[in-house]
Amino acid sequence: MGRAYSTIAFDPAKCDGCGDCMTACAQAKTGTDDIARSRIQIYGRDGAADKTFELALCRQCADPKCVTVCPAGALSKDGTSGVIGWDASKCVDCLLCTVGCSYAGIALDETTGHVSKCDTCDGNPACVPACSKGALKYITTANIYNEVGDWEDLFAPGLAGCQGCNTELLMRHTLRRVGPDTVLATPPGCVPGMGSVGFNGTTGTKVPVFHPLLTNTAAMLAGIKRQYKRVGRDVQALAIAGDGGASDVGFQSLSGAAERGEQMLFMVVDNEGYMNTGMQRSSCTPYGAWTSTTPVGETQRGKTQDAKNLPLIMVNHRCAYVATASTAYMEDLYDKLDKAIAASKTGFAYLHVYSPCTTGWRFPSNLNMEVARKAVETNFVMLWEYTPQDGLHFTKPVDDPLPVTDYLKAMGRFRHLSPEQVEHIQKKVVENQKFVERMTEHAHVG
Amino acid sequence: MTTATLEKAAAAEAPRKQKVILAEGNEAAALGVALARPDMVSVYPITPQSSLVEHLAKLIADGRMDADIVDAEGEHSVLSVLQGGALAGARTYTATCGPGLAFMFEPYFRTPGMRLPIVLTIVTRDGITPQSVWGGHQDAMTVREAGWIQVYCESVQEVLDTTVMAFKIAEHHDVMLPVNVCLDGNYLSYGASRVEMPDQADVDEFMGEKDVNWHVALDPLRPMAVDPLTGGTTGKGPQTFVRYRKGQCSGMQNALRVIEEVHADWAKRIGRSFAPLVEEYRLDDADFAIMTLGSMTGAAKDAIDEARDAGKKVGLIKIKTFSPFPVEALMKALAKVKALGVIDRSVGFRWNCGPMYQETLGALYRLGRFIPSMSFIGGLAGADITVPHVHRVINETEALLNGAAAPTEPVWLNEKE
Ligand code: SF4
Repeated sequence: MGRAYSTIAFDPAKCDGCGDCMTACAQAKTGTDDIARSRIQIYGRDGAADKTFELALCRQCADPKCVTVCPAGALSKDGTSGVIGWDASKCVDCLLCTVGCSYAGIALDETTGHVSKCDTCDGNPACVPACSKGALKYITTANIYNEVGDWEDLFAPGLAGCQGCNTELLMRHTLRRVGPDTVLATPPGCVPGMGSVGFNGTTGTKVPVFHPLLTNTAAMLAGIKRQYKRVGRDVQALAIAGDGGASDVGFQSLSGAAERGEQMLFMVVDNEGYMNTGMQRSSCTPYGAWTSTTPVGETQRGKTQDAKNLPLIMVNHRCAYVATASTAYMEDLYDKLDKAIAASKTGFAYLHVYSPCTTGWRFPSNLNMEVARKAVETNFVMLWEYTPQDGLHFTKPVDDPLPVTDYLKAMGRFRHLSPEQVEHIQKKVVENQKFVERMTEHAHVG
Repeated sequence: MTTATLEKAAAAEAPRKQKVILAEGNEAAALGVALARPDMVSVYPITPQSSLVEHLAKLIADGRMDADIVDAEGEHSVLSVLQGGALAGARTYTATCGPGLAFMFEPYFRTPGMRLPIVLTIVTRDGITPQSVWGGHQDAMTVREAGWIQVYCESVQEVLDTTVMAFKIAEHHDVMLPVNVCLDGNYLSYGASRVEMPDQADVDEFMGEKDVNWHVALDPLRPMAVDPLTGGTTGKGPQTFVRYRKGQCSGMQNALRVIEEVHADWAKRIGRSFAPLVEEYRLDDADFAIMTLGSMTGAAKDAIDEARDAGKKVGLIKIKTFSPFPVEALMKALAKVKALGVIDRSVGFRWNCGPMYQETLGALYRLGRFIPSMSFIGGLAGADITVPHVHRVINETEALLNGAAAPTEPVWLNEKE
């Protein structure tokens, strides 16, 4: 187990390219206003058409490449603070480290002739408070879990999930964050199957919970929320639903509620099928995947259609908030959960969480997070968020995605794929990526 | 109770001042809803119910009714929204018919299972296919085992009064079941007539404090799991399930008493009364009778009067409450007759006769009696049941009295016109 270190996080959606962070750094580190010498660099300020900005900054990596490539031992990671320090007395100015770092986190300071890098100003970085847009944050990743741990667990212990399933993690974290003033709907699927509603008169949660029909979750929640609004009580309406009901038979109710702007948070846990009832295909099941209703045989080899992209469809409802998330990126998920909760106070908030299924996807139970991460690293799954004001943008852009085979080969459900099928999937991944990229340019109304 | 005694009972009360208006059945239903002050109505338009939801929308838009209106994307969601509302403590209402009721079926049969006191007007419509948008009782008859209370109205005035009373019946502690107020599509929905509007203050007094939703609630102040998974083959599952079902059955049986009590209270406070379960019309000294349901009763009463003038000793039994089936009250009425003709505005496919006729055979068996009887089916898909039609029913039933053999097939009233 590695320990968590502090790092400077950057939110490109908030950055407007003003350069205040660079000025602050240059002053703190060189005593000048020469932003060329700043250890934090914002790129894209030279009039790039898309008006998005990128960051070059030392990430204080846990497993730093610069340290390993440095022939002089001038770079080292401090085991306590996590900061990667540079020792001028050892440096031979070979600049290998600048090549080794994939984040452009080390650069040559031409004024001094030596490399320079961020040292987080002893845990009090000057750039962070200088950013008035809130684009920079100094965070410790582990804090999020500590904070969550302080909140009450609102599910009964011992939910009956499959071994290695991440849905219990998702359920507990979500409900802890949402809090006790909540009415929870868990339509038929894995979530009630795990015992959230309880069996034979028992209850699986500490908040009021019910089992809507597979078809009417959003409508029932709407009625509940409206009545509480009518009597002046602030009650969070929350659905934790599966992809099948939401994308197929429950879609009408979901779409209707979104159109009417019903004030709720609708979370879909997407494991790409009806996994609770025997692993049948849903409209979210990807092309080529084996399921019990898209079997592999002589004439058919898995699902013959591509998956329905439910979150993009929800974007076209102009919901107050729409985002995709993954349990492999909990911090991102938490950020989106916060925003979704806030948005649900005024309108329909939709959160689509990709959730690998150890049982139905055929992979070892210890690899859930790895499979989830590979999905993102290959762009098979893209993490983004949308609001009508700010449009759509990636929260974890993957510029150099791994080949999709890296993802497919991690699972038994794709074992039978022919080269043509793999090619189809790879083509679709690129197509989807381009499609969503276009939306990042065009989806906002402001 | 005969109509004469009903009228006497009504006259005995000093009637309160009531505004007289001209209204269609759909408008009367909407006005009745407004008088009951629901918190939430959820609606989707469908012929011949549409003008009912238009009236509701207008009442709310004009500020004459303070309810949250949800224009849902279909009847399935309409009832689902109301279930949510009811689970959060709201008094709720909607209306539908025909294909809309069919589309609503999934949440429909769940509503009595959760014991939610929702009121739903069925503006009755014949079933499809063959395609038809006109009146008939096939929709309401088709869902008669779903566990809802179903009452049928004869007149526009009865629609208004029954709609208000339906809330009180549904919410009664001994009942806690949803109620369908059935009003005949086309005839009552669009038929305008004189309507006396009860005073809002009198209705408020009649309704009393709202007391809904104390048995199931989705409220963070007292968390519970509503409707957890029940049943199966082991443990207490099957027993739990039986307990729920038996509870629904006893709520249904209690409704017979509660419906009578609520009607009596209405008569006392508002000064107007209707037979709550079964109405007997000129039955006391009758040798034979015909049975009716809904708006056809008006024409049937005229035909009975004419037949009486012609010396035939015939009476009429009108079923007002169809579910729960008022077996005792019906047995009491049937005890007086020696031949019976039953007119249905729908089809019972299993028995090749009208559904109300089937139910009546059950009541006769319970009475330990065999009397010659016949099933008549008329008024399908908007067809008229006129006074001449009813004369045919009277004559063929009278023939049974005189020893004619009862046909095994129903008589289809509009077959040769
Ligand atoms: S100060 Fe903030 S907004 Fe300005 S460039 Fe730096 S990070 Fe971006």
